[in-house]
Amino acid sequence: MKINEKDVASGLFFILVAAAGLYINGGFLGIGLEQHSLGTPRRMGPGYMPMLVLWGLMILGALTLIIGLFEGPDPLKRWTGLESGVFGSAIVVGLAVGLLAPMLSPALSSGYAALGLGMLAGFATLCFSVGWRLMGFICAAMCAFCLLLDTGGLMLALVATIFISAAAEPEHRARPVGVLGLTIFLLALCWWVFIDRLDIRVNVWPQF
Amino acid sequence: METSFIENLALGFSVALSFQNLLFALLGALIGTAIGVLPGIGPVATISLLLPITFGQPATTAIIMLAGIYYGAQYGGSTTAILLNLPGEISSVVTTLEGYKMARNGRAGAALATSAIGSFFAGSVATILVAASGPLLTQVALSFGPADYFSLMLLGLIISAVLAQGSVLKSVAMVILGVALGLVGTDVQTGQQRFTFGIPELSDGISFVALAMGVFGIAEIILNLERPEAREVLKTKVEGLLLTKEEWKRATPSVLRGTVLGSALGILPGGGASLAAFGAYMMERKVSKGRHMFGQGAIEGVAGPEAANNAAAQTSFIPLLTLGIPANAVMALMVGALIIQGIQPGPRMVEAQPDLFWGLIASMWIGNLMLLVINLPLIGMWVKLLQVPYKFLYPAILVFCCIGAYSVNNNVFDVYSTAIFAVFGYMFNKLKMEPAPLLIGFVLGPMMEEHLRRAMLLSRGDPMVFLQRPISATMLAIGAIALIAMMLPNLRKGKEQAMAG
Repeated sequence: MKINEKDVASGLFFILVAAAGLYINGGFLGIGLEQHSLGTPRRMGPGYMPMLVLWGLMILGALTLIIGLFEGPDPLKRWTGLESGVFGSAIVVGLAVGLLAPMLSPALSSGYAALGLGMLAGFATLCFSVGWRLMGFICAAMCAFCLLLDTGGLMLALVATIFISAAAEPEHRARPVGVLGLTIFLLALCWWVFIDRLDIRVNVWPQF
Repeated sequence: METSFIENLALGFSVALSFQNLLFALLGALIGTAIGVLPGIGPVATISLLLPITFGQPATTAIIMLAGIYYGAQYGGSTTAILLNLPGEISSVVTTLEGYKMARNGRAGAALATSAIGSFFAGSVATILVAASGPLLTQVALSFGPADYFSLMLLGLIISAVLAQGSVLKSVAMVILGVALGLVGTDVQTGQQRFTFGIPELSDGISFVALAMGVFGIAEIILNLERPEAREVLKTKVEGLLLTKEEWKRATPSVLRGTVLGSALGILPGGGASLAAFGAYMMERKVSKGRHMFGQGAIEGVAGPEAANNAAAQTSFIPLLTLGIPANAVMALMVGALIIQGIQPGPRMVEAQPDLFWGLIASMWIGNLMLLVINLPLIGMWVKLLQVPYKFLYPAILVFCCIGAYSVNNNVFDVYSTAIFAVFGYMFNKLKMEPAPLLIGFVLGPMMEEHLRRAMLLSRGDPMVFLQRPISATMLAIGAIALIAMMLPNLRKGKEQAMAG
């Protein structure tokens, strides 16, 4: 059995998504989260197409998985212990912060602040391992953008985004001067393109 | 009332020559060339990045700019391929083979000129094809019923999965996953929320821009940062851009062949510029007069593929404009852009939006002309652009993505979605799951559902209608043949060889 690990993993992913979807759709013998009525083939209810599509996905996922057991070998890069540990803790930390944050302060329960903080915490945790670092920094930068945009204004949000994403590149960590220059350039460019020319509706300066 | 071809072209040019449309065509062409030159960012990522900016413009202007980016990128990719052995675009990989060798032989100028002129010729011919096809195909398509539409879209999905790189099975699964993602939101017919978990931002569905930017743009940034590229700067001077008589004689048949092949392959869903370039290279290797010189700098190896990829870039608009079916990921983005502008792509579009259709066609020709005139003199500038290190580019790209994703609906949820999709895009790449079929499925899924429901309603619940209507049956048959054919080992190996160059 020459295992094509990438295909097996892909197949598993498809099956999981299909199963989750079918559970939500209510396709499994009436057990479901949001019960979508299936209707008849003639008058299809909202649940019909999802059912068809998700079953199709399930079947293809299963096929991919089974065929992947023989078509190999195509190994996945093994995660080091640190990488697995960090990945797991990132999910835990993210969920914890996301769920607990609203309890800490009423300001944090409005909008998507809790979601953002949770994601930010999760991605920040990812930065502890070299393998996940790039994704961690880039996605954390995006979360920082979202969190700071409303109250901090566009300029502050951009500064945070640029600084955090620059941290992903070792050359920037070594020579921060470049980041400063880049930040000033981008702030000016974004102000000109988005505020001056395109007039998008967003707070530009901090509100506090 | 039948308007003549000339009248339509006149309308098109009057639209395309307006100051705003000219400006945006130029902008698109320049941006396209720039990203074509820069490795690490391609037309798909750029168009998804710039989609939000186009919403403030009228639909015609928006599509003109986005189209300019697409075919501009083909021009730009050849420049670095020839000068630096660095393909800026996938479709330029083939150009590096002979083009770089020509540059080493001191014929860089000739290679660049051949590529530009060949591309312009091919682009012009292809534009005429697009113009001619519009009214023709529209007539055909108007006799389509919902069952035929459904089968046509299904065929489009199947072919795009079949011609994608890598495993056909996984690509088909990705298509279906895309369709599933497209189902999130409010069901149009019953008004019921599906898979939205009570999140108001999801009631209109997953943000198309978030999906495209996350999977194609941001994931690309993460992947690029993982592989630091080594850049070797070619010190040769770019001398005369003139071709010798002999080079003209050798290049001309290649350009003609490339144009024909590229035009044909561009129409095919899943085809597009890369496939056309590879196909033309293979053909030139077998057929051209200078084939014994391949490997040492044969001009046919530049002329053919370059003409082909530009022709394909133009003709891939045909299925989009006439039938509303995207032929590749870029066209899927165009569909998204049109839908957000409130235009329903499909056969009715030619008559409902004549200035969009004819204006776009005229603009494509003007854009090709602009690229020919601008690119050759500006080559020095494009090469300088390459010297901007990626470490300064990627924060800029990230910033534009964030602002862009936010500005679509002025809510941060879309930006959070983009981050999540970036993670998935990264995973897709590591597991060799093709993202382009996902995007095409996402865009076509809701339309397919509508047609399916209508077809079943008309047939009173009889699924046999898909086989009974001749057009529908033909589509399904072709799709089945394509699927089975690609499962055959021989053809699969042939495709893999073509992809591997």
